[in-house]
Amino acid sequence: MHINLKQEVRRSDFAVFGIITLVLLLILAVFGPLLTPYEPLKQTSFPFELPSFTHWLGTNHVGQDILSQLIYGARTSLLVGFSVAVLATILSAIIGTSAALIGGLYDKIVMRIVDALIVIPAIIVIILVAAYLKPNLLVLILLLALLGWQGGARTIRAQALSLKEMGHISAARSFGASNLYITFRHILPDLVPILLMGFIYGIRRAIFMEAGLAFLGVADPMTVSWGMMIHEALDFSYLNVWRWWLIPPGVALSLTIISVTGIGHALEGALDPRLRSEANA
Amino acid sequence: MLKLETLEVSYGEKKILHGIDLELQNGESLAIIGESGAGKTTLALTLMRLVDGSMRGKILFNGLHLLSLSEEAINKLRGNRIALAPQNANNTLNPVHTVLDQVAEPITEHQLKSQQEARQHASILLSSFGIPADRFSAYPHQLSGGEQQRVLLAIASANKPELLILDEPISSLDAPARANVIELIKRINHGCSLIVMTHDIGTAAKLADKVAVLYAGRMVELGSVSDVLSRPRHPYTRALIRCYPGMTTGKDLQGIKGVMDRSTSGCAFYPRCTQAIEICRREVPPLKLTQGRYVACHRGGIITLLSTKNLSKRFGSLLAVDSVNITIEGAETLALVGESGSGKTTLAKLIMGFIQPTEGEICLEDSPVSNRGKDFYRQVQMIFQNPGESLSHRLSVLELVKEPLDIQEIGTKEERDRRARQVLKEVELPDTKAFLNEYPHHLSGGEMQRVAIARALVLRPRLLIADEPVAFLDSSLQAKILKLLLNLQEQRGLSLLFITHDIAVARKISDRIAVMKTGKIIEQGPATTIITSPAQAYTRELSQAASRLSFEN
Repeated sequence: MHINLKQEVRRSDFAVFGIITLVLLLILAVFGPLLTPYEPLKQTSFPFELPSFTHWLGTNHVGQDILSQLIYGARTSLLVGFSVAVLATILSAIIGTSAALIGGLYDKIVMRIVDALIVIPAIIVIILVAAYLKPNLLVLILLLALLGWQGGARTIRAQALSLKEMGHISAARSFGASNLYITFRHILPDLVPILLMGFIYGIRRAIFMEAGLAFLGVADPMTVSWGMMIHEALDFSYLNVWRWWLIPPGVALSLTIISVTGIGHALEGALDPRLRSEANA
Repeated sequence: MLKLETLEVSYGEKKILHGIDLELQNGESLAIIGESGAGKTTLALTLMRLVDGSMRGKILFNGLHLLSLSEEAINKLRGNRIALAPQNANNTLNPVHTVLDQVAEPITEHQLKSQQEARQHASILLSSFGIPADRFSAYPHQLSGGEQQRVLLAIASANKPELLILDEPISSLDAPARANVIELIKRINHGCSLIVMTHDIGTAAKLADKVAVLYAGRMVELGSVSDVLSRPRHPYTRALIRCYPGMTTGKDLQGIKGVMDRSTSGCAFYPRCTQAIEICRREVPPLKLTQGRYVACHRGGIITLLSTKNLSKRFGSLLAVDSVNITIEGAETLALVGESGSGKTTLAKLIMGFIQPTEGEICLEDSPVSNRGKDFYRQVQMIFQNPGESLSHRLSVLELVKEPLDIQEIGTKEERDRRARQVLKEVELPDTKAFLNEYPHHLSGGEMQRVAIARALVLRPRLLIADEPVAFLDSSLQAKILKLLLNLQEQRGLSLLFITHDIAVARKISDRIAVMKTGKIIEQGPATTIITSPAQAYTRELSQAASRLSFEN
């Protein structure tokens, strides 16, 4: 089956919305330091200042500018999201395809590890590990990646197993091709849609986990994160500050996750004929 | 009675016959076959010592050294104990004498009978050869070709020779006359030994017990006529048979590449042989006796390219392939015929190494195949049953056809491009830029099939396993592809394992047919035998179900 990914994504309004939003967020995150008027962790004014022209979203309980924190929060979210997704996708691709192609004992061992990782709740492991390690951003990214490849690996292995039996792979074998050639020339390119979907959902999962962990306090206090902003804002819910302190990070987080979901949903629709809309074979 | 030992004949510098060794017993008949220019007529004339070249070696005729006899002594033998009916009756008969006189001539010459007695004897002979009495006094030009030929035979057999040599006895005759003359020759053969020179293997098959194949003045194969003609062992003999348009041939006619060249230093057939190796160019192969047959070939005759020994494959409780023994010779087509589900494709996959056999082994040129590396796949290629599936949807036509060359790392990029374009042209596909950049899902079924065929041919394999290669094509394309494959067989010696459910297609392309049913080869043999007289009811059913043009009323 030949899928034109670009065309499939363009057909879905949801996906187009997702891509535009994500691109805007990325611009915001990349150029954040140029756009923000204040340093996010610096006390720039009195606590609990109302929104004004100097502080568009006011200040928090220690007088830090909330808008600057919001923009820097996007940096953290997207950095964690993308790096975790890249690492986890690479891991799952290597492990999934190698298990499918090599097979035998190797396949059995690797798949049991995958089973084990699937039943272990990642969030608890991370909280426990964070209790021993200083949870800086790098450690968090590595932990999330190491605990986030197993589902992808299983799908990729299944797909690679069925690809392996396909005519054009047999044909390549009949020309004398090695496993390595077949993997890079045929199987991986054919896995691109699935890898891409895994990557997109990987981003969503990582952003969500990072926010959740920060909300629970498992985060480096020196980095700004939407999860942490929500956590802090909730402590002052009896004041009116939640309108400009709690809602913006909440909306930003939701928007990011919705936009990623939109893209993922369109890809999924393209890959699964049962989910495809009108006849477009 | 007749024995030739390293007989050599040359006209000046030009050597026509090279070291011919031959033995003939009393009453035996031997056919010498070969293309024109092979030296058949020279050999016939040499046996009569009528050749005007230099002769070396020995001809022993009942203990007499023919080459060292005096002219007088040989004259006593000629037309008496050894007689020749030369080629081309029309030129041989004397136009100014009546046929009766011409038949009487050798009798008066040798038996010292009176003119009267000789004529009487001659007229008895002529009538026994079916010439009506009122034609006895006719001149040769007044007779039909068949009658002329019979007169010639009468002349040659007038003195009841011990050895009769016939040079192309029937090639100038039409079919009914041929049958007539052949009957006549058989009658003569009862009393004497016979040597028939002919390019027509049908004549040889009818007249001779033994057959010798002559090529460029050398004997390349010798054996009993039924053995040699039904299972030739020298590539040249097989090629000759493939050129023969008989009622018993189903396969399309194939020629022999190139032309006869006498100047080669090694095996004379080397430039036209599709299985030649280095030694063939340098050394002349001796005529050696192997397995009851004399063959002059460095490779011991036609090679066995691939064979399976008790090959079996079990899927759970299903025995998909059940102790299959097949062999595929060099430049030969073996058609594997059977209904779907009979295990044909599984057998192909076993040979290609996509699945491992439960039992048995596969040999490529007599050495068992264990690990299939690039070297194996350079020699053995496969056309897959479903062309659409076997082509990756991400590669363009050019990339697809080039892929085998890329994997095998053959040539530079330009060379690969050139070879890919060339092979595309061979399968009747355009090599325009637009087509080369096309993706498989934009091609028609027939185009995909041909891209798949091109891809299997681009490595120039020795064996091609073709799994229903023409099933997706309309008949005009099917014909072109079959012709292409046969042509590659003729030019490059491509061997084919042709898998098909259609025995009608198999008949046109195969030398041998193996019929497969529920994993077993139930019958195999020469294609014509399998089709005209199948031993198994199942084969008969397949033949009857095959397509034919026939009209109910």
